[in-house]
Amino acid sequence: MNYLNGKINSGIISVLLGASFVLLFADRIFFTGKDSLVLFLINDLIVIITFIILSLYLLKIIREKNPTPSNLVLNIGIINAFIFLAIIFSENILNFLFENISNRITQPGLLESIIYTIYAFVFLIISSYLLIVFKELYFHKQNRGRRTYFLAMLIFMGLTSISNLLFKTPRYEYIINSFFIISIVLIVINSIRISWIAFISKKEKISLLILSIIILTLFILNLVNSGENDFHGKILMNFSPSFQQFFNLMLLYGAIYFSVLFFTTLFHIPTAEAYDRKAKEVSSLQYFSKLITQVLDFNELAETITDIATKVSSADAAWIVIKNNGSTNVIANKNIAYVDADLINQFLLESGVCEKITETKICNLSKFAKKSQLSEKFGSIAVSPLKSYNEVKGYLVAARKNDSIFYEEDKIAINTFSDYASVAIENSILVEQSIEKERLEKELDVAREIQRKILPSKNPYYENFSISSVFIPAFEVGGDYYDFFEISKEKVGFIIADVSGKGISAAFIMAEIKGIFESLSQMIESPKEILVQANHILKNTLSKKSFVSALYGLIDMNEEVICFSRAGHCPAILIRNGEVNLFKPSGIGLGLTNTNHFKEHLEEFKIDLKQNDNLIFYTDGITEAKNKELEDFGDERFIKILLNNADQTVEKISNEVIKEVTLFSNDHSQYDDITLVILKWNKKNNYMEIKNGRIQHLN
Amino acid sequence: MAEFSTSIKDKGDVSVINLKGFLDAHTAPILENNFVDLIDKNRFQIVVEFKDLAYISSAGLGVFMAYIEKIRDSKGDIKFAGMSDKVYNIFDLLGFPLLYEIFKSEDEAIKKFVETK
Repeated sequence: MNYLNGKINSGIISVLLGASFVLLFADRIFFTGKDSLVLFLINDLIVIITFIILSLYLLKIIREKNPTPSNLVLNIGIINAFIFLAIIFSENILNFLFENISNRITQPGLLESIIYTIYAFVFLIISSYLLIVFKELYFHKQNRGRRTYFLAMLIFMGLTSISNLLFKTPRYEYIINSFFIISIVLIVINSIRISWIAFISKKEKISLLILSIIILTLFILNLVNSGENDFHGKILMNFSPSFQQFFNLMLLYGAIYFSVLFFTTLFHIPTAEAYDRKAKEVSSLQYFSKLITQVLDFNELAETITDIATKVSSADAAWIVIKNNGSTNVIANKNIAYVDADLINQFLLESGVCEKITETKICNLSKFAKKSQLSEKFGSIAVSPLKSYNEVKGYLVAARKNDSIFYEEDKIAINTFSDYASVAIENSILVEQSIEKERLEKELDVAREIQRKILPSKNPYYENFSISSVFIPAFEVGGDYYDFFEISKEKVGFIIADVSGKGISAAFIMAEIKGIFESLSQMIESPKEILVQANHILKNTLSKKSFVSALYGLIDMNEEVICFSRAGHCPAILIRNGEVNLFKPSGIGLGLTNTNHFKEHLEEFKIDLKQNDNLIFYTDGITEAKNKELEDFGDERFIKILLNNADQTVEKISNEVIKEVTLFSNDHSQYDDITLVILKWNKKNNYMEIKNGRIQHLN
Repeated sequence: MAEFSTSIKDKGDVSVINLKGFLDAHTAPILENNFVDLIDKNRFQIVVEFKDLAYISSAGLGVFMAYIEKIRDSKGDIKFAGMSDKVYNIFDLLGFPLLYEIFKSEDEAIKKFVETK
């Protein structure tokens, strides 16, 4: 068969086909009736060549259409019916049209020659078509190894046909007979094991069964009616003895093939349903993979699940019930009104069907009191739990209408599917959570970045005092803020503040605070007045829930004085001569109350600075740092460290504090930002410079 | 952070919200809901009992700020009672005693409501 499967140039074939037709036609018209063996041989040779080319041509056409076996069988049936009619009625019709034409088969005139040739041509095409269709049927879902048998069968059919021409004498008839018998054997061999039947559905099998018995009958009738002595047989015999033989062999092949097909189909019918179910299960596997790709959108997933559930379980409707804090709600209802689904849910939950359910349960609605309230007649329900981590998160419910009910066998498919659906839903929830978590982390990254940019990158340098500042952000940005504002050569303002709340909203308020104090500090000197103005702005812009604690101070290096006001912030601490002074002048947090009330209660405090005074400003991240037992680090520990290290440099003091806080809260995550600013006063013109970690007095 | 819960009991016209545990940004919505419910029921005389509260963060303080205006506009008030020293210090730092009346005990706070009527 290789030559048939090879690449065929359709152009060349069409030309060849046309040429051979013309040649054959000419041969038939001009050389009929001339009793010459040579002409006889040439005639059949042309017929054979035409047949081969025709077959190649038809093969190409059929291949392009890629028909199913059922289509091919139906085509065979139609052609067979045509052959049947042709054989039965051709003599009468032709006799009616052309008077007594049947008597002149062997000695035809020109007209008769033409008619007979056309008739034969039609059958040439038909038999060629049959051959190709049989070939396609044979190779459908067939192993490649069986090629040889088919090729051998064709060869022997050919040999039988040609020998019919050459050895049509009693002496050599045994040659024809032996080729014929071998052909029959090969036809039988090739007709058994029709593998494609297994792959068609039960419905198709039944129609195939009916079709095959009809076609079988037609093949047998045609075979019987196309003997050499019948009108039809005579025409073909006259046209080409080998073709006549081949045509009959084709009919024989058809009869055998279809009788085998009939019985094979018959034996396949009982198992057809099982095959159908398996096929359905396999195709539902494909649905399952669909579930995996849809985990990104929970609602879409739910819709897909109910959609597939109806297909897998052949249900009329399906929906999902999701348990949510004790209540249940229906989602993704498919082919059922929400109200109906809800009514049925109530019944399922109240009747206790859903209690301790571990696999698909089937129940009918005959005991359902409110059944008449349903807008459609649902009668049978299959409930499957949707589990995740052994906890039932909801149910997948499938329903059938009217009298069709769920059977125990249906349970397996539904149960398997609901297991898959559970996994898909669980995955979807996990994906959603991780996306949400990632979004929050991104948001916090942004907040931290804002905070980092808002805070001063380095401390300003002044001859009269040294500054250290430490800022340790919490994971969730806490909203701590500190800054220095150079007002003139002698004056520097500073602020330490803590915004209520956390995360990105706190970071934005910080940015606003920075803007407010940057500009106010340049316009107003009085810390109290600055805070009053800041409160005025913030009271109008902050949400009711938000507020800011702040401490604003102004250092005058000429006067050697620090002046500050405290708006709800942690106290300022002064360590002087080994003693602690806590300054907590009255003041309400920014944004908590209206400007008058705020101003009324805001005090301004002045400290004359002395040599080696340590001024400490901080946020509650230090004093409220917690250990494993949730104890606060507290003021006492804080002050003790400050006292013990008062003689050290500001860096050293600050390092000690941070070290102790870190050790204290080692087992507990840092919940709030930590800010610590320490100033150490060096009397005018008597400042210290730190070199290589050692303090040197320059004067 | 650890758990937080509230309970509300009515004593005459006064509603007492008892706070328990840790009140921070994550648990604040629970208390917010309490206030919303009370406002819905037109109960504007509210005492917040702090004796079982272990910790309050700035977000927790923000809850009172969110509803105080509306409650005072409706001739009501939020009064605080039973604060531990630690909790009081947090309120005190921010100047809350200048904004809210703080009492040693729940009874004193209720009494104040009754007297001013």
